[in-house]
Amino acid sequence: MASSSSSSAMALRRWELENQIAGSEEADRDLIYWYDEAANSRAQQEKPWSTDPHFFKKVKVSALALLKMVVHARSGGSIEVMGLMQGKTLGDTILVMDAFALPVEGTETRVNAQADAYEYMVDYSTTNKQVARPENVVGWYHSHPGYGCWLSGIDVSTQMLNQQFQEPFLAVVIDPTRTVSAGKVDIGAFRTYPQGYKPPDDPVSEYQTIPLNKIEDFGVHCKQYYALDITYFKSSLDSHLLDLLWNKYWVNTLSSSPILASRDYVAGQIFDLADKLEQAENQMASARYGSYMSSSQRKKEPEESQLTKITRDSSKITAEQVHGLMSQVIKDILFNSSRYHQCTSDPSGPEPMVEA
Amino acid sequence: MASSSSSGITFKLHPLVIVNISDHYTRLKAQTLHSGESSSCAPPSNGGTAGSAPPAPPRVFGCVIGVQRGRTVEIFNSFELLFDSKTHTLDRAFLEKKQELYKKVFPTFYILGWYSTGSDVEEADMLIHRSLMDINENPIYVLLNPAIIHSQKDLPISIYETELHVIDGNPQLIFVKSSYNIETVEAERISVDHVAHLKPSDGGSAATQLAAHLTGIHSAIKMLNSRVRVLHQYLVAMQRGEIPLDNSLLRQVLSLLRRLPAIESEKFQDEFLMEFNDTLLMTYLAMFTNCTGTMNDVVEKFNIAYDRHSRRGGRTAFI
Repeated sequence: MASSSSSSAMALRRWELENQIAGSEEADRDLIYWYDEAANSRAQQEKPWSTDPHFFKKVKVSALALLKMVVHARSGGSIEVMGLMQGKTLGDTILVMDAFALPVEGTETRVNAQADAYEYMVDYSTTNKQVARPENVVGWYHSHPGYGCWLSGIDVSTQMLNQQFQEPFLAVVIDPTRTVSAGKVDIGAFRTYPQGYKPPDDPVSEYQTIPLNKIEDFGVHCKQYYALDITYFKSSLDSHLLDLLWNKYWVNTLSSSPILASRDYVAGQIFDLADKLEQAENQMASARYGSYMSSSQRKKEPEESQLTKITRDSSKITAEQVHGLMSQVIKDILFNSSRYHQCTSDPSGPEPMVEA
Repeated sequence: MASSSSSGITFKLHPLVIVNISDHYTRLKAQTLHSGESSSCAPPSNGGTAGSAPPAPPRVFGCVIGVQRGRTVEIFNSFELLFDSKTHTLDRAFLEKKQELYKKVFPTFYILGWYSTGSDVEEADMLIHRSLMDINENPIYVLLNPAIIHSQKDLPISIYETELHVIDGNPQLIFVKSSYNIETVEAERISVDHVAHLKPSDGGSAATQLAAHLTGIHSAIKMLNSRVRVLHQYLVAMQRGEIPLDNSLLRQVLSLLRRLPAIESEKFQDEFLMEFNDTLLMTYLAMFTNCTGTMNDVVEKFNIAYDRHSRRGGRTAFI
């Protein structure tokens, strides 16, 4: 029988973890990796999420899961790929410990892609349980290469189905193209509302540009789900290794050329922006007379006009391009500038180039 | 037992493998540590030992997969394996099952070798190594040292190959250490960066994005600078005679210097300037769009303010 002192020590640690009190020792940080069989089955019994559609608010993704998902999404190129995530719940947070890819190439029209992969999933889960990964499947992820992180109509219906039968379940979307172009990970985690439920307030979601051919799909369904906050965690060994990795990594950072990598994508974005501009122009020309009628009634205009959105999009694309250009210019100065100082005997170039 | 490898094969290691192994180790450590504390709970399934008192964290074992092209071996991914501590062998059926699963998702990768944790190569490892030789005739062994020593500067990962050496008249296989490089795809680099430094995840303002981008480059340049300084000091010391001359090193430094400037052709300059101009053009366009948007707003507000009494439709719209 476990002694009362050890169980109270355990309870203290759990409480600390749930309240996110920063554990200063490594042991506390790694506690998150322990799969508590008893607490998990208790949570399954109680099902606190069935009463509140907005129950889960946060997602914590482990370093490993993020890396695996992003690499898999990128390896698909411009084809959507999907996979499953394993983890557990902790209060109102879903913890994603690991992810694995599924051997199905998704197209936006296949609702039940997961049915094909059930055998794979069962096999994978059983093998995982044998190697000290007893967590259950807690969600699915898929990629939207180049068109942003949101749930399409098919995705929403798939997720609603999942949330009926496989709770707790989470949907994660990754955009590998935007990740590479922007230099930061483009990821979103969502849960759908049950049919007919109206959210009490309009959640403020981060704005992102959506290509014209998908914007209808986005608009129709964007009220049926909400986004969760994503944070990341890593073990003490992970942080140690990643710190050391930087010693070898700086070369890659310096040598990366985001302009070259995302040339296609940028061209596509500009094209799309041009289409949107044309659409906005038509809209404005037709509304010119209409606006006089309504100008007296001060109708509330909470959404921005089409043109403001376009302006924001264009600034974003340009900013990314300028960042890429800055990298190129810096590299040119670093490695090419000795050309400019060939004949000078007097060391005036940047430090690394010239011997004192 | 381990000396330098001479096989001439270059190894490229992806960070995913490193994080994979580290995660496997942490999990197992967490499980065994906690199964020791609460002894009444059913012991969680694990592949290693199951001690009663908090045991030393067990070794983890697994397989590394990737591609070998000519003399370059690129290790992309890895997965866990079951180890039977009594017979000191890896569970073969499990390995084949897992390999099948991974082949479905990553059809181009095949088994390159195995990994384990620990501080140094052990005798028993040779048995495991041999058993993998029928899958891959020259498997590699990746060893991760999970001890966290804060003064360490190098990654605690070593890659070993086996070579046939004649010792005391008997040809024996011994482990030899090889060097490796870290290779990455752009997406991997960004996510590792993201997790390692926990950069601001959302857009923030343009200023913070710019700051983040430039900080990354700045730290990389700082590293480059410090490395070059080290070389510089070494060379100066050599010049003064404090350190014995090392011709091969001098040759390498000379070849490095000869590589600068990196590209010097006319064509490159042209292309570079073209790209520069393209970006400036984009900025110009964005500015234009911005101005148009603002102007449109001004016009709308003006219309609202001044055209209220012509709603009956006499006057045309103010353009």
